[in-house]
Amino acid sequence: MKGPVDDSPGPSVRSHPHSLSVTWAVRAEEAVISTSTPAVELEGITKRFPGVVANRDISLSVRQGHVHAVVGENGAGKSTLMKILYGMQRPDEGEIRVNGKPVSFRSPADAIEVGVGMVHQHFMLADNLTVLENVVLGSEPRKGGLGLDFGSARERIREISRSYGLGVDPDALVEDLGVGARQRVEILKVLYRGARILILDEPTAVLVPHEVDELFANLRGLVREGLTIIFISHKLDEVLSVADAITVIRRGTTVASVDPKDVTARQLAELMVGSELPSPETRESTVTDTVELSVRGLTVRSADGRPVVDDVSFDIRKGEVLGIAGVEGNGQAELVEAIMGMRAVEGEIRLGGQDISAWPTLRRREAGIGYIPEDRHRHGLLLEAPLWENRILGHQTRRPNVKGPWIDRSGARADTRRIVEEYDVRTPGIDVDAAALSGGNQQKLIVGREMSGDPVFLIASHPTRGVDVGAQAAIWDHLRAARAAGLAVLLISADLDELIGLSDTLKVILRGRIVADVDPRDVTPERLGSAMTGAGEAA
Amino acid sequence: MSPAGSSFTDRLLGRVRLGGLLSLAAPVLAIVFAGLITSIVLLVTGGPPLETLGVMVDYGVQPRTMVLTLNYATTYYLSALAVAVGFRMNLFNIGVDGQYRLAALIAAAVGGAAVLPGPLNTVLVIVVAMLVGAGWASIAGLLKVRRGVSEVISTIMLNAIATALGAWLLNTDRLAVEVAGSNNIGTKPIPEAARVPGLEIIPGTGTKVFGLILLAVAMGVLYHVLLNRTRFGFDLRATGRSESAAVASGVNVRKMVLIAMIMSGAMAGLIGMPQLLGASYSYSLDFPTGLGFTGIAIALLGRNHPVGIALGALLWGFLDASSNILQLHDISPEIVAIMQGTIVLSVIVAYELVHRYQISAGQRRVSKELAGKTPAQPEGASA
Repeated sequence: MKGPVDDSPGPSVRSHPHSLSVTWAVRAEEAVISTSTPAVELEGITKRFPGVVANRDISLSVRQGHVHAVVGENGAGKSTLMKILYGMQRPDEGEIRVNGKPVSFRSPADAIEVGVGMVHQHFMLADNLTVLENVVLGSEPRKGGLGLDFGSARERIREISRSYGLGVDPDALVEDLGVGARQRVEILKVLYRGARILILDEPTAVLVPHEVDELFANLRGLVREGLTIIFISHKLDEVLSVADAITVIRRGTTVASVDPKDVTARQLAELMVGSELPSPETRESTVTDTVELSVRGLTVRSADGRPVVDDVSFDIRKGEVLGIAGVEGNGQAELVEAIMGMRAVEGEIRLGGQDISAWPTLRRREAGIGYIPEDRHRHGLLLEAPLWENRILGHQTRRPNVKGPWIDRSGARADTRRIVEEYDVRTPGIDVDAAALSGGNQQKLIVGREMSGDPVFLIASHPTRGVDVGAQAAIWDHLRAARAAGLAVLLISADLDELIGLSDTLKVILRGRIVADVDPRDVTPERLGSAMTGAGEAA
Repeated sequence: MSPAGSSFTDRLLGRVRLGGLLSLAAPVLAIVFAGLITSIVLLVTGGPPLETLGVMVDYGVQPRTMVLTLNYATTYYLSALAVAVGFRMNLFNIGVDGQYRLAALIAAAVGGAAVLPGPLNTVLVIVVAMLVGAGWASIAGLLKVRRGVSEVISTIMLNAIATALGAWLLNTDRLAVEVAGSNNIGTKPIPEAARVPGLEIIPGTGTKVFGLILLAVAMGVLYHVLLNRTRFGFDLRATGRSESAAVASGVNVRKMVLIAMIMSGAMAGLIGMPQLLGASYSYSLDFPTGLGFTGIAIALLGRNHPVGIALGALLWGFLDASSNILQLHDISPEIVAIMQGTIVLSVIVAYELVHRYQISAGQRRVSKELAGKTPAQPEGASA
């Protein structure tokens, strides 16, 4: 398959109405590049990791002075592609051309050499240093032999900041800056090193809405000055509002290049997932009257005694999915760990009428609590162990994994094969290490394992995070089937559609407290979103 | 990309599996490299490398030396197993040395008191040794689970305390008596009926192999079965691989730390037994020391695998046994210590190299497999 290329006509339509004179570091060759040469071209890029192909035959053409968005689901291969583009990883096949010239990056230093710079999603700034110190870190200007030439660096930072309207004060301490300003420092850091092509990895993930607007204004300022921006995101409305061109990546390869003027968010979403969007909706209610899990006055304290889960109470009945909505870090993880018995708590937890508050984790699991953890690598898997040993994890006291004190190898292996079969885990065999599987397949294995313990109550924490669409739909099906069979489910997710679609009851958690009860049948993601940030608290 | 995500310690301690032949390639590579370094040292100090090796091998295959090798290897094997039990779950029991010395001393005193008749006394000596070793190690275990003290620090300190305690106990006012015909002092000799006779498994020499070599073999089998076939072993390995996942799966990590430490200590208690019950019959001032540290080196060399450790212990035993001849040839026997040190260092490097080679070999294999098929449904990389 030949990858499609950007087919929007002619050179950039953006003019340069009031170009400020930029006196620094414009490379000689850049001056002669015509605007019709693509800033970046990728052709046939393929990158393999053990067990998976992260990128396959990727083709992409980014025009000078464009904001070019690369969109795709989590796990579609965007991050790998960008790592290749700024020299973190080398492709196995394919060619990268920057300003028409083929390049081969061995390290990010090679990439910055030709003007390609990366602004990371997670800031890489030292809090206790000033902006100036952070910016020059690693490329300190020298004066004479040993002395640092902070004077000229400060001047240059001011100039860059002025030219692009970034509003960065070189002498401010980074710890005093807000998230938006820190991001501008990151951008400035890359510009300072002479980048003319900026890669921004999910830059809005950490920003609040007005900061997003500011960022987009900054980005437009940058492209006006002739810079090129590659913008990675999966937030479609943002992409549509800021991008000049969009390339969609699905399952590791480029599937379409579109003009944002010609597509709607829904069309874009369908390009991303490659089919009609699956719907997490559950049909009819299976909620019974029997309370399976009852939580009363649950409080979890952090090391310094501050409550991170604060007096939380709820009931989950058999056949009911209780969704917990909330911005991450509002106590969801602690709530889950409290129910699993991994943390000291105050309050009462009853499972099927029994007080399990004092039980250790293993006994809770034996009593029928299944657990799909938020961080599958930390809590769900032994990455360096084969799949069949992972089948035993968390079920190491139950058949078919053990016989008395002995591990039942053949029993565990046979049951692992069954899970691989029934849950469609794509793997060459059950003896490969869990680490060799893609995220979606790892998750399917975990779901299969937790469902195999005949749970009466299941904690599903972000069950489809970082999972491809096919696996997502399958996991939803399994959850629905289990719910119909009378399973009580506590669902925690950042995906509001998933929450609304799967839950029978929805509660909103904010700063460790349940602040609202929402009826999933008549709530929109927008209203739920505002409740999560506390805006709905008064309402 | 996750296989590369294992930490250096994971690979060092063998918690990352190396496949088949490659797991042999690393130590062989290391030993060859160590041989080269040793040859250079020999050349610099004026010894002929090949001849020296020849002398060592000639001497090493003599029946008497082979017995010596096996006897050394027996204690080394037990020592390395004691260390390996801890390594498998991320515990660095540096205190094996103190544990076995204290255990041997007290067990020898109990054995010398002859409270039980004949073979029952033998059993008593071994049980006491295991209990003392376990008890001493459990101090470090308790400190870790109760107070969060690093077992590395506490076991090193407990080694020093064990030395002092041993010196205090090994006194004619307490556990020791004067050894007839010398200025040495030691515990009262264990009565003949409780001694473990040697085995004449190597013909052509009067020297006998420690009878307790069978105990070492049994412990190796037990170690393997316990770790790989039991629920307990699964919990232990799971904790070593990922403590967070172990906690989430219901493993009581504190309990595991304590139990693993106790097991390591009990195993350490056995280290002195072959010597005590098979050769010296009493713990005296010249009882071998430092075996616990040798065990660390051999556990690393054998990647905590019972067979790997056995090979490592035999190699160490061979080097030690055959080094005796070097002095007769005017070569310093310390050359063997240099070789042993280089082996440990280079084995660490070699495991790392082999690990990297494996990753790239794995990638090539995957791409070859995928090229064979028609462009199948690719999976997205995990986020």
